[in-house]
Amino acid sequence: MNSKAIGKMAIVGIIIIIVLIAALAAYLSMRYQAPTESVLIMGTTDKVEVNLDPAEAYDYFGWQIIQATGCGLVDIRPGSSAGPEDIIPSLATDWSVSDDGLVWTFHLRQGVKFEDGTEFNATHVKYTFDRGIGLAVEEGPFVGIGIGEIIKEVRVVDKYTVQFELNFPFAPFLSLLAAQCCYIVNPKYAPMSSTVNYVEGDARASYPMDLGPYKLTKWVRVGGLDQEMVLEANPNYWNASGGYPKTKKIIIKFYSDPTSLRLAIESGEIDIAFRHLSAADINSLRENPNLKVWEGTGAFIQYLVFQTKMYPLNITEVRRAIAAAIDRSLLTETVFQGQMTPLYSMIPNGMAGHIDAFKVLGDANYTYTREVLAKYGYSETNKLHLDLWYETSGHYPQSPDQAQAIKQALEASGVIEVTLHGLEWAQYRAQRVEETMQLMIYGWYPDYVDPDNYAYPFFHSSGSSWLHHNYENAEMDALIEEARSTTNPETRIELYRQIQELMVEDCPIVPLFQGTAYAVTKPDIKGVYLDITQSWRHWLVYRESS
Amino acid sequence: MTLRTYIITRILLTIPMVLLLLTAVFVIVRVLPGDPVLLHFEKRADPEVIEEFRHKLGLDKPLWEQYADYLSGLIRLDFGKSMQDFSPVSQQIFSAFPATLELTIFSMIVAVGLGIFLGVEAARSYNTPKDHLIRIFGTVNYAIPVFFLGIIFQMVFGIMLGWLPTGGRTYPGMEPHGAHLTIPGIGTIHLATGLYTIDSILEGNPLKLVQALRYLCLPSLTLGLVLSGIFIRLTRNNMLETLRMDFVTAAKARGLRERAVIYGYALKNSFLPVLTMMGLQFATLLSGAVLTETTFSWPGLGRYIYTRIGFRDYTAIQGAVAFFAILVALVSLIVDVLYAYLDPRIRL
Repeated sequence: MNSKAIGKMAIVGIIIIIVLIAALAAYLSMRYQAPTESVLIMGTTDKVEVNLDPAEAYDYFGWQIIQATGCGLVDIRPGSSAGPEDIIPSLATDWSVSDDGLVWTFHLRQGVKFEDGTEFNATHVKYTFDRGIGLAVEEGPFVGIGIGEIIKEVRVVDKYTVQFELNFPFAPFLSLLAAQCCYIVNPKYAPMSSTVNYVEGDARASYPMDLGPYKLTKWVRVGGLDQEMVLEANPNYWNASGGYPKTKKIIIKFYSDPTSLRLAIESGEIDIAFRHLSAADINSLRENPNLKVWEGTGAFIQYLVFQTKMYPLNITEVRRAIAAAIDRSLLTETVFQGQMTPLYSMIPNGMAGHIDAFKVLGDANYTYTREVLAKYGYSETNKLHLDLWYETSGHYPQSPDQAQAIKQALEASGVIEVTLHGLEWAQYRAQRVEETMQLMIYGWYPDYVDPDNYAYPFFHSSGSSWLHHNYENAEMDALIEEARSTTNPETRIELYRQIQELMVEDCPIVPLFQGTAYAVTKPDIKGVYLDITQSWRHWLVYRESS
Repeated sequence: MTLRTYIITRILLTIPMVLLLLTAVFVIVRVLPGDPVLLHFEKRADPEVIEEFRHKLGLDKPLWEQYADYLSGLIRLDFGKSMQDFSPVSQQIFSAFPATLELTIFSMIVAVGLGIFLGVEAARSYNTPKDHLIRIFGTVNYAIPVFFLGIIFQMVFGIMLGWLPTGGRTYPGMEPHGAHLTIPGIGTIHLATGLYTIDSILEGNPLKLVQALRYLCLPSLTLGLVLSGIFIRLTRNNMLETLRMDFVTAAKARGLRERAVIYGYALKNSFLPVLTMMGLQFATLLSGAVLTETTFSWPGLGRYIYTRIGFRDYTAIQGAVAFFAILVALVSLIVDVLYAYLDPRIRL
């Protein structure tokens, strides 16, 4: 055999060996899976918008991670309607309120430890609130909700007792404390004078909480976009002895769009897909026997806003006539294939105090619409022309389709003509401030789960200034102020009934539908609660085999 | 013109080109309706707070001053801070770029490899059904939207066959960390490129390498296939011309095997236009990356720009586009110089 032939054989041999090694590695890596029992992989299209500091974070996903890694004084019972009786102890074991509703006293859980062994006490509560109020981050929740205006002072009574003195009686105070922005921070990681931001390669330095069921052990951001997060059980969690968190490790993977997320859950790459899958994807995944679709009440609502300073929308009766022509079932059944619930009040279904106030006007109630509009000279030959605006960036679910369905319903009255205008989100918001949009479709996620958060920001003259709809009614202001300062649950419910009736009477905003929360998981995943809080409680979720 | 003069002229020409582009981006993002400040305030609109925020972002300054700040920053390689999350844009760009570079390199390998192979095969079988088939394949590839092809691949290879992952860069926890080299006298150096394939080799971890390659497969195949169309066409046309030349006939007459004639002689001579096209397609590849990265949740610069446009994050968009512009200018400069070196007639 000559040397050329030997050389050729050697090359062939090397190639064969490389192919074999590659095949073996491919086989091993395809079989490679994280130990399944104590690890869950969750996929989402969400992201942390700014950071994980309760003093600054004001976005859905940021709050979810704060909830997983931190703890508040109180919590909301999973699966409940978040009424006053559903507030449960967390870092506070019990509490009381003074008769005038101005002083709240909390007794704290003893023996709860921070990571470094320091015991949690009343000074940490004071530190957390003093810091949030003092920092007053412009676009953060303390300013957005007005926590600094509600709380006058936080006092340390003794090591395990803390007192909040309020500037005015604020009925939803416990719901507010259950919100993630009020979660307790570890002073070691949360400086008094600045917020905590993402630190590349150092998850511990990227978040200021310490007392929750999980620790954030990994957070990868590439180009400012979240790629991966890892949550690992916190051995110091106060309820660790109760067996929580049920899953010791959660990996969160971030996807760029609903289609990628759907493909990932379908191919088995992830165990849970939560926020956001499209309506069509959810319906088609229901047919998949290897997956389970979870469904729950959502706190997200979508509504139509009138620019009440523009003629003829400055006339209450005209607004009511338009509202009566809306056909909610066209929206929920046609656009969302039955995945949203028609909404007849700005206070959502499933929340204490909700009544179907807008049912008085009905759906597709064209007789009423025609009758009223005829009074103002509108007819089939002289139609009322309306400009309906919507966003096109995917900020809300299927906005263009929603707009089309609303147009269809309004035009079916025969006396209204609608022109649609789609705007990309950035432009849409700019136009809202300019107050140039006659009718616009908008949506809302609550800050804290209480009817107040669905009334004050929409109908109170100062609370609703962000919406620029120019609606003001002194009677409404008085009712809302009274409802938020009354602690008696029955009185509050009665006040919210009146508020809801007045919202139909004045009709500056028309509720359209309420979102349903969806999650798709592998069939062996248990412990999922999708309730009005919209929270994903990582620490309750587990794989059945474990 | 000497090669040196040519290079200097070429660099001088690049400067106004890049400057023009940077100015265009600066103007376009500001002309676009929508305001980065308003996007920050979802639930409230206190005019004083908004003004303060505008001041913080430097948007209350006159336009020319903002422009001057922007250019002077760029000279110092400072892209400014993101208007969305206030972290340095340059840091964000450099953290996202390796992913795009890796995708671009592998897509280019797919595009050029497939393009040349099929182009040569088509030229060899001129006017036969095989030739027609390859041409149709090339045209369809070129015309098909990259996100559509991506979804088809995800459906087929990810869901139906279950062979390949549908999104992301690697399996969670399988990110390679590169190598730590200890050099006596200097200390330990952390060697990492940000390219997962290279880093896993540096780390000596074949499992991570295979994972990285598995995740690279679908996105680079998608982008590579779409780009291969133009290379098929180019190679085919050039090969057809070259195959008619005398030296090819001479080589055949000397009894050389056909494979040797085609790949050894003819292809070498038709390669120059392909090289130019590689340079030109680099820009297309980067823009194609925007859609591919979004489809495959690939954490690169394309997805970065896409997201930042939604936020009207002026500094981030400007920074990323400037980075792309400089990169494309640099690549075309290198290609031109290489071309001038290979073919002295260019310098005439």
